[in-house]
Amino acid sequence: MNVNRLTIVGTRTRSQRLALVGAVLLGALLLCAISAPWLAPFDPTERVTRPFAAPSAEHWLGADDVGHDLLSMLIHGARISLFVGIVAAVIATAVGTIVGVVAGYARGVVDTVLMRIVDVVLALPVLPLTIVIGVFAGPGLRTQIMVISAVLWAGLARELRAQVLTLRERDHIQAERAMGAGPGYVLWRHIAPSVVPLVVPQFVLTIKTAVLLEASLAFLGLGDISAASWGSMLSMAHARSAFLTDAWIWWVIPPGVAIAVTVLAFALLGNAIEERSHPILLPAKRSRKKAATAPAPVDPDVDAGAPLVIDDLTVVYGQDGRGATGVGFTVGAGELVALVGESGSGKSTVAAATMGLLPPAAQIVSGAVRVDGRDVAGMSPAELRGLRGNRIALIPQEALSALDPVYTIGSQIDEAVLAHRSCTRAQARERTLELLADVGLEADRVDAYPHQLSGGMRQRVVIAMALANEPDVLVADEPTSGLDVLREAEVLALLDELRVRRSLALLIVTHNLPVVERIADRIAVMKDGELVEIGTAEQVVGSPTHPYTRKLVESAPRLRPSLQEVFS
Amino acid sequence: MSALLDIASLSVAFDGKPAITDVTLQVAAGDSVALVGGSGAGKSTVARAVAGLVTPTAGRIVFDGVDLTAVPQRRRRAARKGMHLVFQDPYASLPPTLRVGDIVAEPMVIHRIGDRDSRRQAAVAALESVHLRPAESFLQRYPHELSGGQRQRVAFARALVTRPKLLLADEPTSGLDASLRLEIVDLMGELAVSENMAVVHITHDLALAARSCRDIVVMQGGRIVEAGRADTVLADPAHEYTAALVGAVSGV
Repeated sequence: MNVNRLTIVGTRTRSQRLALVGAVLLGALLLCAISAPWLAPFDPTERVTRPFAAPSAEHWLGADDVGHDLLSMLIHGARISLFVGIVAAVIATAVGTIVGVVAGYARGVVDTVLMRIVDVVLALPVLPLTIVIGVFAGPGLRTQIMVISAVLWAGLARELRAQVLTLRERDHIQAERAMGAGPGYVLWRHIAPSVVPLVVPQFVLTIKTAVLLEASLAFLGLGDISAASWGSMLSMAHARSAFLTDAWIWWVIPPGVAIAVTVLAFALLGNAIEERSHPILLPAKRSRKKAATAPAPVDPDVDAGAPLVIDDLTVVYGQDGRGATGVGFTVGAGELVALVGESGSGKSTVAAATMGLLPPAAQIVSGAVRVDGRDVAGMSPAELRGLRGNRIALIPQEALSALDPVYTIGSQIDEAVLAHRSCTRAQARERTLELLADVGLEADRVDAYPHQLSGGMRQRVVIAMALANEPDVLVADEPTSGLDVLREAEVLALLDELRVRRSLALLIVTHNLPVVERIADRIAVMKDGELVEIGTAEQVVGSPTHPYTRKLVESAPRLRPSLQEVFS
Repeated sequence: MSALLDIASLSVAFDGKPAITDVTLQVAAGDSVALVGGSGAGKSTVARAVAGLVTPTAGRIVFDGVDLTAVPQRRRRAARKGMHLVFQDPYASLPPTLRVGDIVAEPMVIHRIGDRDSRRQAAVAALESVHLRPAESFLQRYPHELSGGQRQRVAFARALVTRPKLLLADEPTSGLDASLRLEIVDLMGELAVSENMAVVHITHDLALAARSCRDIVVMQGGRIVEAGRADTVLADPAHEYTAALVGAVSGV
């Protein structure tokens, strides 16, 4: 915990320090640009030495083919490059932001018209477009700025529109509208601050692109001839055979470095701004986790030969803390154990460990999970694949995201069957139809796509897939979340029936005690990574011993006399 | 006596598909009504239509004497001062970039009520009423620093500052852990009494509905199938769907 806090503090100061570096670099560049007439040792347009002069004490960067002082050209170039880059980026960003936000928020006709314009701009090839506009408007700074802004705003507009479209449907924006807030207020107070973190990095990239585009335009002869930018220096170096002599070292590298430094400075600063306008990126003020003191209860009915044995399992997440501490219980054949706990209790960690699906940051430090007597933690990836689906199967939380939207449910169950046995497609389909019947779905659903089924039916499909290879152990992680009460009762009744008929060891992980208390044989309660209570449903609900269990039991709303009253 | 909220023959359709059909419902001042039904029953759509988030295809919504389906946009927004919709998921319904103090005071900013100081005072008072104490310590925090239960309390505090006459709560407990659900429902009941607000509680949980509200309205497939006093509806459900819901909650 301590170590972790230190690293968080460390990252924070590091990003601040980098932002400071960026600010200093940018400040120096801007200062250079502003004070160029006083800072530069010579007039960049005057011949002050012999052509191709090498660097010397008087001319630090030597001279070009005419005898202009290159250092003075570099310093004056900062003016033009930064001016064109920043002004063009400001215009492009402003136009792009306004168009994107308005189109996304207004929708309808406004959106259609604006987005078709964006499409046209994006479809036009940049280089010919710049040449045409440039020739039409004549060379000069104004032309450069106009051309650069005209080609750069559209991409940003399109990106922001997509963001605003989703942002608009977010609950907190809907909440504002429900409170009676008008579009102006919502846009200014809520959409704009959420859009700023997206605009800032885009702005930085736009400056970079603008500086580079400026160089291309200068190369094409569309720049201001009287005011040489870094880009013009590069193109002049190329045009006037600097690469044939040693002069390229002091003629090409300095403006190149200057462009790179400018982009870097903007990037460092931009990241820090993004972090500030997005408080979730800042480290939270966390309170320390209280150390648990009570000894963990031990499953009184430990059965070492059970299909699923969780033996004194301790899982640690990185340096962040404990996922589970000393958890031990077993699930026998044909037994239904409910693992109950709230978010952060560690119940999902235990469920993931039984499947060998712990995230990389998690580590089993002691104890073991044994499926049919074999330790899951010690298995190779190949052995794990053989185990999963075959001996142990998982029913994941979200049926919709667990199913592939582009295949029919029949073909997805076929795949589950084929993954673990060698049989023909026809045999697999036969098995699929059996499975559908088992979970109470009609055979003609086999060609339905997931989106054509209701939530309850999709959950049945997922259960059918889990059963495809007759596992001994079934782990269901919040199998009814997202279902309404009627569907929930049906799905649980189905699971209950299946475990009896197939004598499955069934572990249901849930935060909802009332829905499992009537069907579970035993209930295990977890809190803060520890098992606080385990016993038969009657014991746990009727006479809870741990204060947390009591709170859980009492806080469940009931219509009729509950088990608590029935059993006590 | 005219009702505070009078919904008459309200229908809403999305892309031509009816979400609610011919819903008629009255809520008197200070009343508590639970809108119950499975997913897709249309209960949330009723609340969203009242709050102006969806446009009705037919019917009338009269709130506090103002016909929301007939008056211009600006008056409709002003009428929203008198009602507040609390959303299901407190992780999504609070703006992540604002501090709790600003979030709670926001309805006052929207409706241009009070100045900086009085808004702050109102925010502190509202946080106290939802038992977030000491309230001052919450003002400067961001939503991501709070637990789910605390966030939903903040959402309720935000509902209180304009002293609305009607509180719409759309599944305010289903995003929360089980042990917090009763606390939040009881808080809602307590606030309804202390602030003299009418409450429309949308839930799929009949047990919660019975605990929080005097009347229950059961919806199925976008229509109201049964309505009445909570104890009558539960003890003797007239419609088979209600009976199924009662059965699902209390087990067999």
